[in-house]
Parts: sequence; structure tokens; C-alpha cells
Amino acid sequence: MVEISIDPTTRIEGHHGMELEVEEGRITEARSTMKMFRGAEIITVGRSPRDAAQLTGKVCGVCFICHRIGSSRATEDAAMNAGAFDGVPEHAKILRDATEGIFFLWNHAIHLFALVGPDYSDAVADTGFDRLDPLEGDGYLGALENQRKLMQALAEFGGRAPHPLAFVPGGVATNPDAATVETVKSRVREVSNWLGPTEAVPDVLENVQNGAFDPDLGEGLHDIVSILVAAAQEGAADLGSGPNRYYSNGLFRDPDSGDRIFKRGVYRDGSAEPMTKEEIVEGIAEDTEYSYYTDDSAGSPTEAKPPEPDPEKDGAYSWGKAPRFEGETMEVGPLARLAISGYDPFDLRATLGGGPAESNTLNRLVARAQEALIVRDRVLGLLDAFDPSAPLMADFPDDYTGTGVGLWEPSRGTLSHYVDVEGGTIERYQIITPTLWNIGPRDGEGNPSIIEGAIVGDEVADIEDPIDVMRTIRSFDPCLACSVHVDSPEGSYETVLEPASPGGMTDVGDD
Amino acid sequence: MIDRSRRNFLKLAGTMATGAVVSRYTTEVASAYEQATEGDLEVVWLQGQSCSGCTISMLQGQYPTLEETLGEFRMEVTFHPTLMPEQGEAAIESMSTSPDVLVLEGSVPTEMPSAATLGKRPDGTSKPLVDWVTELAPEAEYVIGLGNCASFGGWPAAENKNRLHDVGENVTGAKGLQFEQREQPGVLGPDFTAGSGLPVINLGGCPPHPDYMLLTIATVLNGHTPELDRYNRPKPFYEPLVHDNCKWRGYFDRGEFADKPGDEGCLYKVGCAGPYTHCDDQTRLWNDGTSVCLNVGAPCIGCMEPGFWDRFQPLDQEVEQQNVFGVDVETAGLAAVGAGVVGIGVHATRKLTGYGTSDGNGDGGQSEAGDPDHSTSDADRRSGAEAGGDKTE
Repeated sequence: MVEISIDPTTRIEGHHGMELEVEEGRITEARSTMKMFRGAEIITVGRSPRDAAQLTGKVCGVCFICHRIGSSRATEDAAMNAGAFDGVPEHAKILRDATEGIFFLWNHAIHLFALVGPDYSDAVADTGFDRLDPLEGDGYLGALENQRKLMQALAEFGGRAPHPLAFVPGGVATNPDAATVETVKSRVREVSNWLGPTEAVPDVLENVQNGAFDPDLGEGLHDIVSILVAAAQEGAADLGSGPNRYYSNGLFRDPDSGDRIFKRGVYRDGSAEPMTKEEIVEGIAEDTEYSYYTDDSAGSPTEAKPPEPDPEKDGAYSWGKAPRFEGETMEVGPLARLAISGYDPFDLRATLGGGPAESNTLNRLVARAQEALIVRDRVLGLLDAFDPSAPLMADFPDDYTGTGVGLWEPSRGTLSHYVDVEGGTIERYQIITPTLWNIGPRDGEGNPSIIEGAIVGDEVADIEDPIDVMRTIRSFDPCLACSVHVDSPEGSYETVLEPASPGGMTDVGDD
Repeated sequence: MIDRSRRNFLKLAGTMATGAVVSRYTTEVASAYEQATEGDLEVVWLQGQSCSGCTISMLQGQYPTLEETLGEFRMEVTFHPTLMPEQGEAAIESMSTSPDVLVLEGSVPTEMPSAATLGKRPDGTSKPLVDWVTELAPEAEYVIGLGNCASFGGWPAAENKNRLHDVGENVTGAKGLQFEQREQPGVLGPDFTAGSGLPVINLGGCPPHPDYMLLTIATVLNGHTPELDRYNRPKPFYEPLVHDNCKWRGYFDRGEFADKPGDEGCLYKVGCAGPYTHCDDQTRLWNDGTSVCLNVGAPCIGCMEPGFWDRFQPLDQEVEQQNVFGVDVETAGLAAVGAGVVGIGVHATRKLTGYGTSDGNGDGGQSEAGDPDHSTSDADRRSGAEAGGDKTE
């Protein structure tokens, strides 16, 4: 048996390592190790609910907007359950969705071009595809330029990016005028032109296979499709297979119909199951058997004794906890959203990846590319529906007592924030991040996390350079800053759990 | 570290006085870049307890861009966790052991070293960031604390208010490189200097503006010694007071205050830390001149300052101790109107209310009157003893 340790894993966000055992060229054991802890929830407790969005919004400088919105939704939910808040104005919701959409485009561009793309570049893998050579390839540099335009668009509403301050409990503290909205649209259009038209995908696929490059059909699209083709050729469809179980909180509410573009629910046993917020929240529990937190810290994030750090714990190997849905691991992210919602544009996953709901390294990349196009086509519609003259902020109470849950769906997958507020002070706080779902540790039943299971069974051709393992790790777009402090202490005080008010925990109430 | 050809380039570029900081991207900088074609400069970029927001911020730099700075200064990033091609042992092996520039992003957990690790020690255990920093910093020519966490401890050093879990006030003992909040020392001692003779150059901010980093690199590589304030921040970036250049300043002077973020009016009463916070972002603006926090109705949270988080906490409420000279802020605002009428102007008003200083005494507007609490840190005392001198050495 050979043991391989990959530390650091790099080109992901955050501190991560991977311990592997290999027998006869095949991986028999994998341990995904999150290597950083800060204590976000410990720090958040004892502060004003308004400060929760400021503080937890900064747990991640990559997913900056998502946590601000997720936290705002949790404290808003708590205030609504307390009867102290009527909800966020309609156009603030539209603006949050539109902004999250721009963020999706930004994040997918960064991930595809700067983080995972180089795995298929000439510089890293001798593929002859040099446009994504880090800091040198024309495709890589073009993506850097275009991501700046998306961040400029975000800064029009948020004041700056990363870490915009305008997204707060009660709505969005910004006063854009029609000209601002037009500027944002024109930035998005510029990037959209770089990306290329959605309907060009079949032609671009043909171009890439023939070594042709037609900038009129989108430079970005050519590079993204090149990644997908290179990944297919490198056998990524046979790597990193998951259990085909998916979970999404849903996102992008249609302002007219109220339906979400990406559905809320799970996919398991071959079919999608739409779910309410209440069903989702009831299904989630966390396990700490292999986490650097005390054993009695496990349970539902709304009820269980909160986890307490135990850095010397025997047998533990990760600062992440192990979230499970009704006892099972769930994959989250673009592939989960598209599988649950039944989208497979151009049948790319069906034809290249072995099936639209098949979990593997290639399909994670394909789904991210497909989703970038779906969201791009959606963002301008949301901006069209947004009326900058409508109210964007509601009065948010200072003093209330209640509990709340904020479900949100950032680019990497499901995010949930949980808060207990007592007399205007946070008494308990908890975050479950997308990356925990995908790359946390195993649970007390011995069930490996999604990433651990995905890697076991794969071949390692060269133990000195386990590039396929890296490709699988990066296909999840892991982001660890937010995942490694999932710790929500409640200390010595006594918290009165307020029953949720009717509607407060349903799909309708706070979305 | 600077080779002969580079010295020639520096001579060509060296029209600025020592002590200057390149604070704007100029044609001079551009031409200096163009001539910097000899020799590779090695950069090591470590992440402690970080959110990667500083890296993402640097990717937004436009004049110059990060790729221009790296490319045209021929800076070889021998290690950067988010951007480098290699991983695992190969990544560690490619890391320079005596970098020209060492950048740290994120704080360093000193009480719980396992809370941020990178790679392995020879015995196979995880190697804590605190070891990396103490090993590499003395070997580096320049050390840069990028962001509030690396400079001052920042977010992970915020107070454990309810003293949960017996982990202390600072949960992991998170520190900056040479400061813990407003006090010295940090991970490195107060007397630490890098090979260049400079202490850790602190670029506070959550995140800092990308220009601060990219132009600071241009400054030191152009052979200039940046003038630092008492928290070792380059003065041109960290001298202006947010409050002075705020678009809502007129509302403050008229005593017109917003009731909630996003409302029209001065945001002081909903927690704005602008009167106590130093950076030039109000005029520099973010994301290629797009906007800045206050311009969209979001109160300043003081992220550029040491002690950020608890010094201005709760962030949504009026910063306390504005009443330094017994004048509450509304009276001060109204007084400003009167003062304006009689021609005294805003400077007198500021003195009245104690928001920073305006008389150019060289302390970067950081007089005690400008601080929202009265505690006097070591660094403060040292500064005071130096009659306005800001550098701590």
C-alpha cells in the first residue's frame, strides 16, 4: 500500500489537504482534511443581528455576497417569526437575485478559467491547450479582464467588490438610479459578448474538435468548451463518481410567477423531489465523529448542543463537520441544481457525461458551464424587472426575540444560516456551507463524504503526480474559508426557542 | 536582492524623493515597469486564517493590474495557494526560501496553531502557519501584511463576547504579523525588520484597495522607502480621513442624519465609522473608479483601522465617544452650519468635535481625539513620544 498526502491542494479557496491510500494503482481510502479554523460563530454570538451579516459576510472573500444575503435572510426570518418584521421589499428581493446571478457568472468564470481550467492546460498537463496556462494564456488573461467587469457591475450596487457593504438585513442599502442599472446591464452585456451566444454551443463544439477558433461565436465559449472537450478526452467522465444524490435550496425566483428557476428540493433514487423550507430544515443534521469538535456537538443545527472545538481529539482529521440529509450525503452545486431542475442544455451531460444526473468529474464541469449560460440569460431579465425607484429597504427592528433560518443557494451549492436572537442579541449562530456538504469528513456511521467517496476507486497512474485526483477535487469548486469554522456555541445561557409563526418556515413566507 | 541592471533601472526611474509612495499609476510608473526587464523577483504569498478576499481584491486592480505588476516587474510567484499551477509537495518545493517579497493574507493563530496549517513538518505532522511566518519573514527583503487580518489580527481576532468554550477572548489567539489589534507585538517582535530594513508594511482593510498593494510593490521595487504611519501603513493611502471626503459630508455639517442605511443623509447615526477611519477610497474609488461603500448608502465599518470589529462594534450603532469635547454630533453638525456662515469652515468644526485632526501635524489624522476609545496603546504612546513621527522604529 502506498500513502499519498496532497497538502496543500491549491487552486481552490482555502486550506485543504487530501490523504489517500493506494493499492495496486487504485485509491482505497481517502480523507478530506479542512485545515483552518477561525471561530466565526463564536465571534458572532453576543452581537447585534445586524452585525451578523457584516461579520459572517466576511467569512469568505470569494463568496462575499452569498453569506451577507444568507445571514440577512436568517435574521430577517427570526424577526418575522417574532412578529417584528414584515419582510423585505419585493424589489430588494429582485436585486438580491440579480446580484447573486452576476456573482454566479463571476464565480463560474474564475473557477473555470483560473482554478480548474489550468488542470487541462498545456502548462499543467501537456494538453497542447495553452490558452489557459496560468497568468500567461490569452484565455486566462481574457477571463481576468472580464471578471473585473463583473465585479464593477457588483460594485455599482454594493459600493465595492469584494466585500460590498450594501447588502444588509431589511433589504439592500443602496439607491441606484436608472442610469446605474443601465451601467450594470452594459457591463454584463460586455461579458456576455465575450462569453458568446448560448445557441452557438453546437458550432463551438465542432470548432473546438476541429481546432478552429471563431471569436464571433465567443472567445469565452471556445475556451470553456475546450476545457470540457479536453476533460472528456482525459477521461473525466470516468472519474470522481458520486452517489447521484443532490440537494438544492433553489434560487432565482421569477418575479411574475414566483417560481424558482432552480428548484428547491433533493434528487435521489433517480427522481427529483421538490421540498418546502420546513422539510429541508427538518432533514439536516451534522455529525462530528471525525471533526475537531466534541462528540456531543452533533445534531440538528436548529436544536443540538452546538459544537465545541477540540483540536487534539483522537481520530479527528478535519475542521469541517459532516452534514447529512436524512442520514445521507448529498452533493451540492451546479450539477445538483441542474439535475434537480431537470436541465441539460444541448444534452451535453447525456452525451458526454453518461447521463444528465450522473455525478462525475466531467459532469460537474459541464453543469457549471451550462449554468453559466442559463444564468447569463437570466440576469438581464432580472435587471429588466428591477425598478430602482421602488423601496429597497424596510425598517428592521433592533430589539426582538426569535429564531430564524436563512436558506440561500450560492454558486457552490446550498448555504444555510441559523440564528437565535434574544432581546436583540444573538445567542446562537450556525452556518452550513456548500463545501461542507461536498468535502467534509466521514460521519460516525463510516459514510465517507461526497468527495471522499468520489475519489475512492479511481486509478492513480502516477503517485508522484496524482493529477486526476486534483481534477476531481477541483471539479467541486471547493471553498474552505467558510467551511472550517462551522461551530455554533450556545454557552451557558438559556435560549427560549420560539415556535415558528405560521408561514415563517414555509417556502412562501420569507422568499 | 536588487541586481545591477535593476539598479540602473531604478536610477532611471528614481526621480521621486525618498519617502515617497507611488500613490497613483502614472506614465512614470508605466515606463519604469517597461524597463524592469532584468532579473526575476521571487514572491511568496501565504494565507493564514484568511477568506481569500485580499487575493480577490488584488485581482480587481486596474492601474496596474495584478498580472501587469507580476509580469512587468518579472515577479515570479513561487507560491500562492489560489493561483499556482502546482499542488502538494511540488507546491511547497517551488516556494522560495528567501523571497524578495513575502505577502501574508489572513491572521496567524498563535494560541491554537493547528487552526491554520500548510504542508507537513519532517515528522509528518501539519506545519502551522506561525512556523512558516517566523521562518520566512527574516529571510525576506520586504514583508507585507495584506489586509486587516495579516496586519492587525482583524476578523478572527474579534472578541468572543460571551466567553464561550473556554477559548478566551481571542478564540484562536489570532494575530497580525507585527501587531495584535493596536498593540505590538504580533507574531513578529516590535523590532523586526526585513532585509530592506523596513518593518512589516501593513496594508489594512477588509479588504484593502488593490492599488495599495500593487503601488506599494511598485514603490519599494522602484527603490523608494515608503513613509509609514504609526501602524506602519503607507501614509498616502492611509492619511486621508474618510469623513473629510464623504459625499454625505454636507449633510453631517447641516445635522441631517439618515435613520437607516440607504436613506438620504449622513450615516453617522447608523454606525458610520468614517470620522475615525483613514483611507483614500472616497477619492480613489473601487473597481476602476466605480463606487465606494458610502456612495451607495452603506456606513463605513472602519475596516482599514487596527482594532477593526470591536473598536467600532456594534457596527450598526453610533460610534461611541463622539462626545470627546462635550459636543454631541447633532449639535456639532448644527455648529458647522453656523461656523460656515462666519467663515471658520469645516476645520474648526472638526476641532470642535474632535474628529481627527486637520492641522497637518503628520500623525495621519490619528490624534487621540480621533479615536473612539480612550485607551492608549503602546504604539500610540510611542507615536506621541515622537512628536508626530509615525514610524514605530
